[in-house]
Amino acid sequence: MRALGVDIGSLTTKAVILDGEGIIASSVIASGDESEQSAGNAIDEALKQAGLKKDDGVFIVSTGAGGKDISLSQQSKSLTSCLARGVHRLFPSARMSIDMGAESSTVIKISERGRLNDWVNQDKCAAGTGIFLQQMAKLMQMPLDEMAALSLQAKGRADITSTCAVFAESEVISHVHREPPTPKEDIVAGIYYSVVSRIISLCKRIGIERDVAVTGGVAMNGGLVKILEGELGFAVLVPERPQLVAALGAAVVAQESIEKGISG
Amino acid sequence: MAIEVTQSNAVMLPTLERFRQINDAFPKTGEILEHKSKGGKVFGWLCTYVPEEILHAAGILPVRVTGYSQEMELEDGNAYLYINNCSFSRSCLQMGLRGEYEFLDGMVAGSTCDGARRLFDLWQYYIKTPFHHILTVPRKYTGKAHDLYYQQVTQFKEHLEEFLGRKIPDEQLINSIEVFNRSRALLKQLYELRKADAPPISGAETMEVLNASFRMPKETFNRWLKDLLEELSKSSITHKGRARLMVVGSVMNNPEFINSIEAQGGLVVTDELCTSTRYWSDPVVVEKGESPVKAISKRYLNNFPCARMVPSDERFNRILNLVKEFRVDGVISQIIRYCVPYAHDLPLLRDRLKEVGVPVLALDVEYGTSGSGQIQTRVQAFLEMIEARKR
Amino acid sequence: MVSETKKSKIDAIIRASRLIMRMNQANPASPKSEALYYKMLTSYYTCLLNAHDEGKFIAAHTVFFPSEILYAMDIVPMHTETTTWMMALFLGEQAEILSAGAELGLVPEICSPHRGLAGAFSLGALPRPDAMLWSNLICDNTAKSGELIMEINKCPGFYLDHPFQRSETEDKYFLGELEDMICFLEEKSGQKMDWDKLSKIVQRMDHQMELFREIGELRKTVPSPFPNRGFLQLLTTDYLCPGQPEAIEYLEALRDELAEMVRERKGAVSPERFRLMTLFVPPMYLMGFLEKIGQEYGVVSVVEPLFTRWAEGRLDPSQPLESVARKAAMIPERRSMYGPLGQEALQDLVDCAEQYKVDGAVYWAFMGCRHTCATVKLFKDLLNEVDVPVLTIDCDIVDPTINSEAEIREKMEQFFELLEDR
Repeated sequence: MRALGVDIGSLTTKAVILDGEGIIASSVIASGDESEQSAGNAIDEALKQAGLKKDDGVFIVSTGAGGKDISLSQQSKSLTSCLARGVHRLFPSARMSIDMGAESSTVIKISERGRLNDWVNQDKCAAGTGIFLQQMAKLMQMPLDEMAALSLQAKGRADITSTCAVFAESEVISHVHREPPTPKEDIVAGIYYSVVSRIISLCKRIGIERDVAVTGGVAMNGGLVKILEGELGFAVLVPERPQLVAALGAAVVAQESIEKGISG
Repeated sequence: MAIEVTQSNAVMLPTLERFRQINDAFPKTGEILEHKSKGGKVFGWLCTYVPEEILHAAGILPVRVTGYSQEMELEDGNAYLYINNCSFSRSCLQMGLRGEYEFLDGMVAGSTCDGARRLFDLWQYYIKTPFHHILTVPRKYTGKAHDLYYQQVTQFKEHLEEFLGRKIPDEQLINSIEVFNRSRALLKQLYELRKADAPPISGAETMEVLNASFRMPKETFNRWLKDLLEELSKSSITHKGRARLMVVGSVMNNPEFINSIEAQGGLVVTDELCTSTRYWSDPVVVEKGESPVKAISKRYLNNFPCARMVPSDERFNRILNLVKEFRVDGVISQIIRYCVPYAHDLPLLRDRLKEVGVPVLALDVEYGTSGSGQIQTRVQAFLEMIEARKR
Repeated sequence: MVSETKKSKIDAIIRASRLIMRMNQANPASPKSEALYYKMLTSYYTCLLNAHDEGKFIAAHTVFFPSEILYAMDIVPMHTETTTWMMALFLGEQAEILSAGAELGLVPEICSPHRGLAGAFSLGALPRPDAMLWSNLICDNTAKSGELIMEINKCPGFYLDHPFQRSETEDKYFLGELEDMICFLEEKSGQKMDWDKLSKIVQRMDHQMELFREIGELRKTVPSPFPNRGFLQLLTTDYLCPGQPEAIEYLEALRDELAEMVRERKGAVSPERFRLMTLFVPPMYLMGFLEKIGQEYGVVSVVEPLFTRWAEGRLDPSQPLESVARKAAMIPERRSMYGPLGQEALQDLVDCAEQYKVDGAVYWAFMGCRHTCATVKLFKDLLNEVDVPVLTIDCDIVDPTINSEAEIREKMEQFFELLEDR
């Protein structure tokens, strides 16, 4: 029996197939309006890659915003639990993980057994999320990856202290229009610093514990991760494909269920 | 259009610059470090209901615990005090947790408001300064409240004596009262100058003086302030604005904020802030045959009140008096988000000021704000409204 | 006309509680205590509704107020927070009340229950009090609520000052405050303090505290016999009817029922899977939901250290006023919500987790309650040390527009999953 995890997020849906210790296939597709269909597409894609068919004996666990009540899966599990499992599979030494997604950030604590110990999320406020970074990119009139590269050249950083995304935006505008204008790279560094500060604030609510991993789409932003490491004072663990971690975790849950002999 | 500064013979005020240097070095000011290096103790105090004279009489340098007077990142503050305690208490805790107050030998607070008492609770638990004390501060002015506060100040003095292993003699207390009263009298003189049509000192500059007063030995401060008054009397600099303003509300000690108002021509001539007027307004009066501790406790409970006190009319009346004395055209109320005592009083205060024809600009701010674009726009509109009324 | 509308708002509470009381009486499966609880509410609000017609003096007061004194003086108490929000809940008028508060100039950072008080008075939704009484127990909001309400109602008021710490001088001060308040009330109402009556109330209050403690003891049993919805009922009982016969009648019936369930090893949820500690108060309008999700997942709240854990100690009817003062110091809220947060209060929290065999804790972080939120991290640190996970949910306890049921369900289900995985 193969273990398949599918993470139905608000922007993308991801699927991972595990066989023993290794990932044998994975897929990332854009989420549609219907969770059921998105899941179906991601699963089909992954199965195709692995050269499997649905009736080849696959145990499916779903997670993510649209992961509940999916008829295709035999079990559903919360995103935080899956993140804990996924991070633990990749980095057994991680005790904490920061997931920076499009609409929310979540920080989790992971037990030595790879179970979720605690979590905290920031879901009521855009500051410190992927969407906030997209807004800022629009404001700075440059693509996200260009922004990330530029931040690495910053010598200083612009002060962006507002705790609110709306006010932070006006602070950025005032830096741009200042006479002389604040260097672009410093503004970007300032933006990243304000995001990082929000994230660290979240971490501190449950207490920082090493090692720390970073997952989710924003983890691919090298500039931001560098500032995060600078503020934490140590290096963080970043998976090769950070956006797949929750789906991997769901697949780990599927493996556990297969071992326990639970079947759909 | 900024306030007009006339400066015919371009005399800089050297003492103002010295005060500014103290503030730039805060929290580890040269004065604090010097006191420490001589083996002296430095204590932090949190709120104007903490009687500084007691600390001073014990040979301790009292330093007011604040944030950096500017807005700052509050990661630890947010985690420990949660996001709904005022940003002043969070800023203080943030600095404490970061070790920026590690030079403190003691921390003294009063049960003045929820933010202060919780900051004290967490300070005690997580920062562990060698000496901690919190005074029960009654919210009333009755005779019984005074008896209780007298006992509280006495108990604080005894706790301190126990910690230091020596008594604080009455003569020392009398001396400290004199030093602090002298300071209050000098600050009053400084404020008197601001009653002029075109005062020789701006609101932002005044705040620099007050900030320094919390961060250096009072004796030195008094000497410097005397120098400053001397310089001001000789100076030909004057400040003239479009309107005379008063700032009221939550704890605030950022000169930049006042500056952002004055940069638009709103001359800040007085205030009702615990970092300014409420800090120095009343002297300690030792009645015949009264113990110095009694006189101190009486002054601190009766002093120009914080919004925490009941009835609020005592505070409102004092504000109304200042409005008259300083010929105030408009009042800027700046209330830190979650500073509940002031927030509750605002509708009542607004009514009372309306009765005497003084408009109020109510700003919701975070501690340390330097006056963002949005605030400046509102101040601008407020000044225009005042000018239109004058015509 | 105006007084008619005022009456009808209070009448909504009476009609609703009478209806629930009758439904409970008619249902043989329903515990007797349920009907008694609603009988108590009906009687409290009927007194309030008829007070002015009967020529009685109404004293409005804030939460955690020693209303024993009012009862002893034959003054009709009006618990402002409970009355405002019970009425708002029954009529669905939370939004109107809060916006009336905003119109008065009260900013959103002021705790919503207190923002609503002045709003409710200015709407004329509550009967006009003859006096306003308020105190700084429990926070700056209660301390600052009174004056605006006095102004709206054009009534006199008395602020009762609770000292922050406990000592002989401070206790004496509080006793003096109570004496001054009695003088104030005697002068304004023209009614005298009946000391014998106060003494009887104190005697019943002593018994009432015993009952609270006995109920607390019974809840230590596995499975716990006490349902999730019972929490707010326990609070309301002491808020509205301290030392009143209706309160005793309800609590005695409740205690007997719980004792019976313990003997029969019956739990409030079956099977009982997780025992929770509840910190602060869940949103009032979600009590039904919490009961439902509790049944679904086998989850039961067994202890609420901030609100239902009464301190040990007795009251002495021969010293009635001292006893009223002592009770004010013994209420659970006094332990960690007001007064310095000493080692004792912190240890008690940890003891609670052990004594009640708690699996996890839920901290309802109500944004309006600054001083309790300041303990979220500290309590979490302490409970984590004894291996109790804590779920923190940001919420508003009276404003239903802040949290949705779905969002809270998601957080709770995630937490139950975490507990399950352990």
